[in-house]
Amino acid sequence: MNEHPALQAAGLGKRYGSKWALEDCTLEIPAGSVTALVGPNGAGKTTLLQLAVGLSEPTTGTVRVLGHSPRDEAVSVLPKIGFVAQEHPLYRGFSIKETLKLGQKLNPSWDDRVALDRIERLGLPLRQKVGTLSGGQQAQVALTLALAKRPQLLFLDEPVASLDPLARREFMQSVMEVVSDTGMTVVLSSHIVADLERVCDHLVILARAHTQLVGPIDEIVAGHRLLVGPRADSAAIARMHDVIRESHTERQTTLLVRANGHVYDSSWQVLEVDLEEIVLAYLGYGSDRGAAHAAAREAVAR
Amino acid sequence: MIWVTWRQQRTETLIAGGILVLIAALLLPTGITMAHAYHHDGLAACLGTNPSFSCHVAIGGFQSRFQPLFSLLNWFTLIPGLIGVVLAAPFVHELENGTYRLAWTQSITRRRWIAIKLAVPIAAAILIAAVLIVLTTWWRAPFVHLNGRMETGTYDSEGTVVFGYTLFALALALAIGVVWRRAVAAITIAFVGYFIARIFVDTWLRDRLVAPLKATWKASSAQPADLAHARVISELGTGPGISFKTGSGPLGSHAAHIAIPRGLGQGPATMHAVYQPPSHFWPLQGFETGIFVGVALLLIAFAAWWTHERTA
Repeated sequence: MNEHPALQAAGLGKRYGSKWALEDCTLEIPAGSVTALVGPNGAGKTTLLQLAVGLSEPTTGTVRVLGHSPRDEAVSVLPKIGFVAQEHPLYRGFSIKETLKLGQKLNPSWDDRVALDRIERLGLPLRQKVGTLSGGQQAQVALTLALAKRPQLLFLDEPVASLDPLARREFMQSVMEVVSDTGMTVVLSSHIVADLERVCDHLVILARAHTQLVGPIDEIVAGHRLLVGPRADSAAIARMHDVIRESHTERQTTLLVRANGHVYDSSWQVLEVDLEEIVLAYLGYGSDRGAAHAAAREAVAR
Repeated sequence: MIWVTWRQQRTETLIAGGILVLIAALLLPTGITMAHAYHHDGLAACLGTNPSFSCHVAIGGFQSRFQPLFSLLNWFTLIPGLIGVVLAAPFVHELENGTYRLAWTQSITRRRWIAIKLAVPIAAAILIAAVLIVLTTWWRAPFVHLNGRMETGTYDSEGTVVFGYTLFALALALAIGVVWRRAVAAITIAFVGYFIARIFVDTWLRDRLVAPLKATWKASSAQPADLAHARVISELGTGPGISFKTGSGPLGSHAAHIAIPRGLGQGPATMHAVYQPPSHFWPLQGFETGIFVGVALLLIAFAAWWTHERTA
């Protein structure tokens, strides 16, 4: 499809006033992947996405989307990307029909059939005002607007954050259908970890304006282990493996490690961990120092 | 994009157009009545320098009959400001509601978006100002024949200054709105700012844009001809042991200065006046329009720059 990576950032940083919203972000998201951008509120997810779609300009570093700068070569990038911003803003006074007409007027690659099919499947009347739709329906209309321009790359910023559980499920279902139908590259941010594993195959963990971990989800899950053993110092393990989180009780020590090869120490019981636990471990970890940051850099280098 | 902008601007343009229709509904019937009365009373024949007694009566009757409406029209000086700030609302709303993020991630560049989103309200403002000028100029024509058009209320709604006022109000609301991103607040503050700017120009700047004329004449003889329909800045009588001043600033009107000599009896020997004669109408209008349009363009350029560079 496209030999360029979908998204490529090098030393990317954005500062608002004296505060860095995103700092020293280097990552690559391959074309054809479905990537989850995970982190707590204020971690820099929205900043990264806005830099990617050219809404804001980097303070440091570079970002390239499908091989182009989204800010300086907007004409090359904009027609190829779809973006649904946080809170999925729409013109509330427009009817659905007018919203689609807007999409048609502003996008040369607009496919009206895609749009009308989706609206029909959602069971929404074309004449209804967008402002009177439910949150879930508005999110679906915003997604329709982004999809009908036939993008190669779809960015979704917290698409389900404001939705109730049912609407959340339906929305993610829609995204999965799109991916399986078109093979579109998708980057979506979320502070909710559940469900992501079903939809996504790549993960970027952001916390405190820094990337903590980047990589394919199966490798991430395969690379992490939970070590449980009698209470001990973690220093011996830390020489070989990256200790992401450690917790001690009176008798027992539990370590979550990014394993570099096999764990040979027989005093530890080695357990597999699920993605959610790994994500929580990284989010709970300091960003400026320690193994998490080193692990993030390593993952980037790979 | 023009369709999109029009669709977003529709409500505000219709509001502005609605204001215009209301004005027309008031002005058209009364204007026709007035023009008819003007002809019927034969006032055109009374415009000479020395009107006859019957002319005085006819003019007095005509003026007292239509004076309330004429005074009402002085409030119209607020309308260009009102229309200007209302037309700025859609642009600011877009920033306030975050919908520009939707627009800027379609396939058009933000530069193009900004250009069209600004061009449409500017065009609407110019069009509406033009209609406003034509309407009020036509309506006032009989009064202008009698009293000239240098008086503040008349001067403010004729010629070209209305274009300047409307664009200035629009630009001020845009400039405040792109920074503040609150439509209602920006509109309110801009309207207050418009009002202050207008007061400043009306009461201070206008008398200084073009050097006013000075005249001195004997109180017993006739005043200079061009003083009749002039904007009188000050008028002063001097004589043995007597000195008084009248008609200072924009309040000085035709009615005031013909009343003075009558009350004086044998008082002052000499009259002095500083005034803008009717011949200064177009130079004054030109300068004032230029200033308002110039400031408006600067503010619009600022709004465009700020939106392009400082909005994410």
